[in-house]
Amino acid sequence: MVPPQWYLFLAAAVFCIGLFGILTRRDALYFLMSVELMMNAANINFVAFAFYYGDLTGQVFALFVIALAAAEVAIGIGIILVLYRNFGEIDVTVPTEMRW
Amino acid sequence: MAEPLVAWTALSPALLLGVTGLALLLVDTARPKSRSNTSMAVVSAVGALASLAVTVWFVVAGTGSAATGGAITLFAEAVKVDTMALFFTAIFASVTALVVVAAHDYFHDHDNPAAFYSLTLFAATGMALLAVANSLAVVFVALEMVSLPSYALVAFLKTNRGSVEAGLKYFLVGALSSAVFLFGISLVYAATGSLIFADVAAGMESVGSLAGVAGVGIVMIIGGVAFKTASVPFHFWAPEAYEGAPAPVSAFLSSASKAAGFVIAFRVFTEAFPLGVSLSADINWVLAFGILAAVTMTLGNFAAAVQEEVKRMLAYSSIGHAGYALIGLAALSADAPGNGAVMGAAMAHLLVYGFMNTGAFLFVVMAERWGIGRTFEDYAGLARRAPVACTAMAVFMFSLAGLPPFAGFFSKYFLFLGAIDNGFVWLAALGAVNSVVSLYYYSRVVKAMFLDDPASAGALDALDVRPTALYAAVVFAAVATVLLLPGFGPIIETAQSAASLLF
Repeated sequence: MVPPQWYLFLAAAVFCIGLFGILTRRDALYFLMSVELMMNAANINFVAFAFYYGDLTGQVFALFVIALAAAEVAIGIGIILVLYRNFGEIDVTVPTEMRW
Repeated sequence: MAEPLVAWTALSPALLLGVTGLALLLVDTARPKSRSNTSMAVVSAVGALASLAVTVWFVVAGTGSAATGGAITLFAEAVKVDTMALFFTAIFASVTALVVVAAHDYFHDHDNPAAFYSLTLFAATGMALLAVANSLAVVFVALEMVSLPSYALVAFLKTNRGSVEAGLKYFLVGALSSAVFLFGISLVYAATGSLIFADVAAGMESVGSLAGVAGVGIVMIIGGVAFKTASVPFHFWAPEAYEGAPAPVSAFLSSASKAAGFVIAFRVFTEAFPLGVSLSADINWVLAFGILAAVTMTLGNFAAAVQEEVKRMLAYSSIGHAGYALIGLAALSADAPGNGAVMGAAMAHLLVYGFMNTGAFLFVVMAERWGIGRTFEDYAGLARRAPVACTAMAVFMFSLAGLPPFAGFFSKYFLFLGAIDNGFVWLAALGAVNSVVSLYYYSRVVKAMFLDDPASAGALDALDVRPTALYAAVVFAAVATVLLLPGFGPIIETAQSAASLLF
């Protein structure tokens, strides 16, 4: 059996890749994908440690998270769509109607 | 009523909100030709008020309180109804009722307001669910139930660039912070092997070499809480979102959504990560909250003082108030007898804040309905044409500042007193200094409305529009802010006894 700390390292690596994507990419769709990566990093932890503890809670919660992530993407795509209609771009740095 | 006949009826405040939202959606889908803004607003207001009535009845009857057999747990302990949950549900239901009534006039010429009403009620359902959560899984699901409708609500004016931009920024920060929050939960699960609060607390006692993992997880959970409550370091979405969003949505987010953030913070950090246990694992979250509270209230109040637009000023003021309410967590110490008092005072402050801040934003709704500008100068002389509404606004402003004859004074007084009793004099002193700063920018609004002359003779002609429902909502919020003064005794007692059960 793979020792549990390796799963923690894997999850942390995936999480950091997602975070890096959010901080560097300006395209809103890349942002959505990066958030998905971060949430799936959490899923790795949930599934791995559900197995480690012999407890189903983590696995079931991972399923919930997948559904919630899909819902979040649905809302996100909707907002990106109206963004495109109003600003003609999906670059997240373009809308600056209000001062930051 | 000592114990509900069927246990799940204890959830009826949340169920009422959810069923009302679904009914609105159903009617709007099945009979799109017959949609009427007025009937939608009336149905949502009745739903929210029914939920409020049931909540108040439960509090008075003592459902879930220690006197009637303790908290009611449901769904394998994932949900727990106690007085604290009911207290916060009362805040959510009252703010929702005020907002939907005000929205009736705001969306008078909108082609599809039904979506607004149902999204608002769904978000309120999520908040009511957050208040009863007893498991980190329920916390996350309910948090998303609040967040997802909120993103859509902020971007509700689809052809308004400000609204869309605000929605985008709120979504970006919100999605990021919920991912961080989720990863924090996963680390806590990795360290303790459970998601139910009580079992997490038990796991924390024997966390051993995984204390570091749990610590990082707790820091990430603090990040998620900071987003929801609009506290530093995840506060910067708030001015943008509140300014760009339709004003009723700003009112809803800055009052109800903020209180929802605090209910999870209060619960998670007292029940899942109890102070004594956390400290013995070298995880000092009280210090973290102390720093956050100090920075948040200072930043919010000083930034509010330099704003030129009333709505943006209120946005920063709401950040400042998040800082005050954080004292409820920051001024705790292990085994101190005053813990329940200070957290209860923070709860009472959030209740009072729910009325006065919603009222202030609803006045901005009225200004937007009139079509006058957004800056302090545009409010000049308003009191000549709209004396009742302006008096109400003055009540909100002085109450937010914490001046003595209003409810905001008492809630702040008990909060700072609780902090001093627990040995956190510096937090109380900082809060008092910030309140003095806040008096400057709150009184600017009152000065503009009552003392300044309007910019031109025709500047006030727009005020001939009389939005009746909006007037009623603003006046009701003002009356509630004043009446909370004589009614403050029972409220603070309920809040403090509910909070002291958590320790």
